[in-house]
Amino acid sequence: MEVLNKLEILADAAKYDVSCSSSGSNRKNTKGGIGSGHKSGICHSWSEDGRCISLLKILLTNECIYNCAYCVNRISNDIPRASFTPEEVAELTINFYKRNYIEGLFLSAAVVKSPDYTMELLIKAVQLLRQQYHFNGYIHMKAIPGADPRLIYEAGELVDRMSINIELPSSNGLKLLAPQKKKEAIIKPMGLISSQIIQRKEERRLYKRAASFVPAGQSTQLIVGATPDNDLSILRLSEGLYNKFSLKRVYYSAYVPVSTDNRLPAIAAPPLLREHRLYQADWLLRFYGFNAQELLQESQPNFDTMLDPKCDWALRNIHLFPMEINKAPYEMLLRIPGIGVKSAQRIVAARRFHFLSYDSLKKIGVVLKRAKHFITCDGKYYGEVGFKEKLIRQVLVGQEPQHEKTNIREGQQLSMFTS
Amino acid sequence: MIDYIYDGSFEGLLTAIYEAYYRKEKPEKIIAKGDIQEDLFVSYLHIETEEEKAEKVYNAIRDKISPIALKNVFYGFLSEDVDAGTFIYRYLQLGFKAGEKIDQYHTHEAVFQLHKISRRVGKEAHLMLGIIRFQKLKGELYYAVIEPQYNITALVAPHFAKRLASENWVIHDKKRNIASLYNKNQWIITEGNLQGEIVLDDEELQYQEMWQQYFKNIAIKTRINPKLQRNYLPKRYWKHLIEMKKK
Repeated sequence: MEVLNKLEILADAAKYDVSCSSSGSNRKNTKGGIGSGHKSGICHSWSEDGRCISLLKILLTNECIYNCAYCVNRISNDIPRASFTPEEVAELTINFYKRNYIEGLFLSAAVVKSPDYTMELLIKAVQLLRQQYHFNGYIHMKAIPGADPRLIYEAGELVDRMSINIELPSSNGLKLLAPQKKKEAIIKPMGLISSQIIQRKEERRLYKRAASFVPAGQSTQLIVGATPDNDLSILRLSEGLYNKFSLKRVYYSAYVPVSTDNRLPAIAAPPLLREHRLYQADWLLRFYGFNAQELLQESQPNFDTMLDPKCDWALRNIHLFPMEINKAPYEMLLRIPGIGVKSAQRIVAARRFHFLSYDSLKKIGVVLKRAKHFITCDGKYYGEVGFKEKLIRQVLVGQEPQHEKTNIREGQQLSMFTS
Repeated sequence: MIDYIYDGSFEGLLTAIYEAYYRKEKPEKIIAKGDIQEDLFVSYLHIETEEEKAEKVYNAIRDKISPIALKNVFYGFLSEDVDAGTFIYRYLQLGFKAGEKIDQYHTHEAVFQLHKISRRVGKEAHLMLGIIRFQKLKGELYYAVIEPQYNITALVAPHFAKRLASENWVIHDKKRNIASLYNKNQWIITEGNLQGEIVLDDEELQYQEMWQQYFKNIAIKTRINPKLQRNYLPKRYWKHLIEMKKK
């Protein structure tokens, strides 16, 4: 089979992996080598679905021994199968890289023969790139659950980021949809990687020459909407992963029906708005000092699709507002809808020199159409509708962008679980 | 009212700033030669570029304000905005008084204006790091054509000098007729048209086709969202992207 055909099949098989980030590593080029990392990551294109393309995202092979219900590559699915040789992967990566199509490689694989065997194949391809081609660009490798820890360590020495997909938000979901995958087999290597990262960081503090281990950290991905798990349990899971394993990212992927299996919900469209809300909340966890318990409760375990999580939180805690922009501490500024990390920092910097007026907030980058309901400037309140939770909610819901793709059809997915 | 006119070079602009401090008649605006729009009520003073004066201002910005301020000024200049010279002058007036804290005065008009244009330049330079497309030519040369909004060629060259250190490459800004050339050792900026015919390497089209194929396959069909795609990657950049060319 020609490389072009293989690429077609194996890119197609890899596209449901969400992550394409290339940030977090500043690997330097070596003498006579090719490539370098870029701390903030670089996007190289955007595909028709609006997602960024930064890495060459391919499977080494899509021949799988597993039969996970939600996955296109499951053994029972009748699709064309193909496998790259390590040389083909290296050649393709280097040639795409030299033309500046990509920032590096995201290499994954279906489980062929056994987890160990698959992991060895992946390592071989990456070894070739690093050692023979002297490639210093970004490499993200999937770790295969169930593979020997020795192989995980070996891979970690070579790549910039590793990820192990948690796949589904609960072990019940896993049991139902991916009976061959065990929660323990996923969590264990995450712990291994995380402790190794910490240990290596310590060593590097002492000897600068100690080799790096997964310098861009690890991430994971889970599917939203294939199981009845609610947003609260998903968010708690993410929170746990961030706190316990210092994960860099948890990716959420709206379930795209790729098979008709009676264990799966029948939905007309992927729950994109729900995915969007989870990402918004994820940001609140990582950069805004929120915890899951503040954003959702048992009594209301799912996000309001009509309103973003931060506005929703502010309205439920209206007693904390309005906040005086010239006095509120940084941590509280972050909690005001319409104020992001950048603008909160700028407010703190600028108000050291002078009082901030309402008009000057615009220059700082505050989104006033949201913020005005929650702040005072020099004691004056600027919201026009009056400081009433109900009235503000009405205005904010009216302002939400009309998500064209997320019409009523999305709601249907819940019905099969509630009936 | 008097406007200072400089020759359009960065040194010229810095010389004009120098003159603004030592001449009695302070400028209302500082404008590049190519951007003058004749105004009956304004008189013009043409400033002769002097390396020495420019260097003094350059060092003063770096040492008396901050390296970040120098970066803001240079990026602002590269924006080629008609008002860039004037914004930079006002920013520096405040900067020489406030010192390194200048960049925290986010709400001050002079700071806000310069930050706005210099941020746009920085943003485009970063985008370009990703969307420059090299084509391999016969004779082991990688060649890219760009038409950026701002004059960012000098900003992206160091990145590729590090990354593609063992290759020969050219980044050609067709709009401004300048190019950065790299010869496996160092990079320079040249002006004027490039000589020579463009003959693709034998393998080039094959890799272009693979990239196009990859680009097509990686999109998830149930999530197609052209508006989102254009938000990130405005259409004005599509012209030189291999993946956007219709087959």
